[in-house]
Amino acid sequence: MSGRIYSKPVAFILMSVLVIAVGTLVTMVIPMLTPQMHPRLEALRVYSPLEMAGKDVYQREGCNNCHTQTVRPLRTEVMRYGEYSKAGEFAFDRPHLWGSKRTGPDLARVGLKYPDMWHYMHFEDPQSIEPQSNMPSYAFLTGNPLDQTSVEGRMKAQGLAYSEAEIAELEGKTEMDALVAYMLYLGHAVPPVVESAEAGEVTMEELGDHEALEHAGEETFEHQCSACHGKTGEGVIGPSLRDKVWLGVEGDIDDKVIFAIITNGTQPGLEYAGRPAKGGMPPFGNALTQKQIWELIAYIRMIQK
Amino acid sequence: MDDYRYDNQTVNGFILSAIFWGVIGIVAGLWISVQMWLPSWNVAPYFTFGRLRVFHTNVLAVGLGIGAIFGITYYIVMRLTRVPLFLPKLARFHLYLFNVAMVLVALSLLAGMNQSVEYAELEWPLDVGVVILWVIFAIVVFGTIIKRKEDQMYISLWYVIASIVAVAILYIVNNLAVPADLFKSYQVFAGVNSANVAWWYGHNVVGFLLTTPILAMFYYFLPKSTGIPIYSHRLSIISFWSVVFAYLWTGAHHLVYTPVPDWIQTLAIIFTIFLIAPSWGSVVNGYYTVGSDWSAMRTNYLTKFFLWGITFYGLQTIQGPSQGLRTVSQLIHYTDWVPGHVHMGTMGWVTMTVCASIYYVVPKIYKTEIYSIKVANTHFWLVLIGQLMFSITMWITGIQQGAMWKAVNPDGTLKYTFMETLVPNYPYWQMRTVSGLIFTVGMLFFIYNVLMTMHQGKQRMAGAGV
Amino acid sequence: MEEDFDNIQEFEAKATAKKLPLGWLMLYIGLIVWGIYYFVQYTPAISGWTQASAYEESLGK
Repeated sequence: MSGRIYSKPVAFILMSVLVIAVGTLVTMVIPMLTPQMHPRLEALRVYSPLEMAGKDVYQREGCNNCHTQTVRPLRTEVMRYGEYSKAGEFAFDRPHLWGSKRTGPDLARVGLKYPDMWHYMHFEDPQSIEPQSNMPSYAFLTGNPLDQTSVEGRMKAQGLAYSEAEIAELEGKTEMDALVAYMLYLGHAVPPVVESAEAGEVTMEELGDHEALEHAGEETFEHQCSACHGKTGEGVIGPSLRDKVWLGVEGDIDDKVIFAIITNGTQPGLEYAGRPAKGGMPPFGNALTQKQIWELIAYIRMIQK
Repeated sequence: MDDYRYDNQTVNGFILSAIFWGVIGIVAGLWISVQMWLPSWNVAPYFTFGRLRVFHTNVLAVGLGIGAIFGITYYIVMRLTRVPLFLPKLARFHLYLFNVAMVLVALSLLAGMNQSVEYAELEWPLDVGVVILWVIFAIVVFGTIIKRKEDQMYISLWYVIASIVAVAILYIVNNLAVPADLFKSYQVFAGVNSANVAWWYGHNVVGFLLTTPILAMFYYFLPKSTGIPIYSHRLSIISFWSVVFAYLWTGAHHLVYTPVPDWIQTLAIIFTIFLIAPSWGSVVNGYYTVGSDWSAMRTNYLTKFFLWGITFYGLQTIQGPSQGLRTVSQLIHYTDWVPGHVHMGTMGWVTMTVCASIYYVVPKIYKTEIYSIKVANTHFWLVLIGQLMFSITMWITGIQQGAMWKAVNPDGTLKYTFMETLVPNYPYWQMRTVSGLIFTVGMLFFIYNVLMTMHQGKQRMAGAGV
Repeated sequence: MEEDFDNIQEFEAKATAKKLPLGWLMLYIGLIVWGIYYFVQYTPAISGWTQASAYEESLGK
C-alpha cells in the first residue's frame, strides 16, 4: 500500500469502495445472478390473501424475535421439528423469516403439527396449554378485522397471484384468523415422510409387563398428547380417546391401526381401516420410538376401560 | 484563527442526544429482560416482547450508538484536520434531523411498522430518512477532510472513511423494497437470497457501526488521554485493510446449517476466523502502546476504560469467530449464548469506549476538568461487573439449552420436550435482569458525572465572563 | 479562543513504527493457512463434502 494514499482522501475513499466490493461481489452479488439463489419447490403454494395477511401480522408483532423458521440438517433437530428445511421452501418470503433466536420453538413445520383450534387457544392464552410458557398473549388480534383493500394492495405489491373470491372471503375475518391460517401454511411444501403403516418389528406382546407399559405410556401421553386429547384422554381440541369412535366412525379399530395413526398422523389423503383421515393430528413417528408408541396404545386401552 | 465554538455545540448536542436515547433504550432492555421470565409484563399491543425487542436494539444502536458516533466523529475529524467543520449549519441541521428521526423510529417500531430484517427493521419512509442523515454526515466529514490543514490522515480518519462508505452501500442495498403503502413494504429479495443479503448487511452493519467507528475513537483517544503514542504504524495499516477486506465475506456465518449454499457458508467461516488476526492487531497495538508505561493504568482513569474496552473487543473477536465454526454453531446457535456474546460487545467494548471518549470530550468543550474521577471509577466497576454477570449467565444458559436440545435417551428418542428445555432458563434470565440493573446504575453514575461536568463548566465560563 | 491542536506526529511512535510483534504475525499467517485447509475440506466442488451428505452420514451412526 503506497504511503501516499493516506494524504489523498478521494483516492482513499475509492480504494475503500474497491476493497469492500470484493467480498460483496463474490458472496452476495454474483450468487444472486445465478439460479441457485432463486429455488422454488414445485409443491410450494403461493400464499392465499388470508395467509399472507397472517404473515404480515407475524412480522408486525416481531414473532421472528423468538421463533426461527429453518430446521437445520442435524439429527436431533429433525427428530424435534421434522424434515430439515430446503432452499426451495421460501420463494415467496420477502424478506426471509428464518430468525436468529429460539426462545420459543422453530416454526418451519408447525403447520403439520397442530390443528387450527390449538393455535386459537394458544394465541389467546398460551399458558392455558403450556403453564410455564413465557409467550405473551395475542388475544387482542381477535378484535382487529382485516381490511380487504389493504390486503389486496399488499398481494399486488409482492406480485402474488390471487382471486377475487379469495379477497371476498376475507369479509368478517380477523387478524387472529389470518395468523392461524399462516401457521397452518408453514411447512406444507415438504410433506412428512410417511413411514410404513405396518406396526414395525416390535409388537406389544414382546414388550412384556403390561402394567409397566401403561405407566410409561401415561408419562409420554402427558407430554405429547394431553394438550389436544385432554389430561386423561377426554378430548379437548382432538377427539376423546375414551370412546370407541375412531376417525369419526363408531366402532373399534385394531391396535396396529392406532399404531399407524400415531406414526403418520392424520394428513388428509391418508386412510386407516377404510376410514379417511381428515387432518389435525401431526405424525409422531420421528419423535417417538416404536416402543413408546406401543406404551401409548397400552395406556389408551387402559383409559378406555 | 478558526472558531470552533459553534461546532463544539453541535458535538455536545449529539452527546446529550445519545445519552437521552441511551436511557430510553436501556430501560426498554430491562423491561424485555423481565418479560423473558414474567410474561405478564407484556402489555399488548404496543409493549409486547416482539415489538419492544426491536425498539431496544434500534434505540440503542441508532440513538446511543450512532448519536455518539456522529458527535464524537465530528470532534475527532476537526482535531485531526485542524479545521472547523465543513458546512457547520448543515451539521447542526444533522443534529436536529437525527432527533426527529429517532422519535419516529421509536414510535413506528412500537406501532409494529417492521420490515422484519434484523437490524434493518425500519420501514421505507424512515429508511429514506436514514439515508439522508448518512449523506449529510458524509458531506460534512468528507468536506472537512478535503479542506484540512494537516496533510497526513491519521488512522482514526481511515476508519471513519471506511465506515461511512461501507454503511452507505450496505444500508441502501439491503433496504431495497417495494412499498405497498406508506407504512409497509416488501424486500425485493426473497427466501434464500434474502437471507444471504440480509446477513451480508446484518453482520457488516454491526462491523462498520459498532466496530470501526469505535476503533477510530480508540486510536484517537488512547494516545490523547495517556500521552503515549500508538506503538506501530505498520500494524495499524495491515489491521485496517485486512479488517475492511475480510469483513464483507463473513455474513453467512449467521446462516450455518441453513439452506444457503454450502460454499458461501464455508467462505464466510474462513474469513470470520481470519478476522481474529487483524482484530487482534488493534488489541496488540493498544497493549504495546500502554505497555511502554503501565503506570498509566493507575494514574489515568481513562486508560482503564480504553484498555478494558479493547480487551473486550479482543475477547469478542475470538468468541465471535469461533461461533462461526460448524461444530460450535451446532451447539450454541439460536440459544442465549448469542445475546451473551452481543452484549459483551455492546456493554463491554462499545459502551466503555464511547463513555470514556465522552469523558474526554466534554471537559474539553466546557474548558473544565471532569467533575469527579471517583464517580467515574464507580461507573467503571459497576458497568464492568454488570456486563460480566450478564454475559457469563447467558453463556451458561446458552450451552445448557443447546445441550438439552441435542440430548437423546438410550433408546434414541429426544430426552427433553421444548418446554423442558425452556424452564431451566428462568433463574438465569432473572439473573440477567439483576446484571442489567447493576449496569444501569453504573450508567446513571456516568450520566450524573457528565451533566455535573457540563454544569461546572458553564458556571466557570459565566464566572470568567466569557 | 484557543483550541488545542493535534499534532499528528505525536500520535505515533517513531522508533517502533515498523514493528510487527512476531506472535501476532504468526497468528496472521497461520489463520490464512488454516483458511486454505478449511476451504479445500468444506467446499463441495473440491472435496465433495456437503451439508446434506454429512446429515445422511450422521443418521447411519
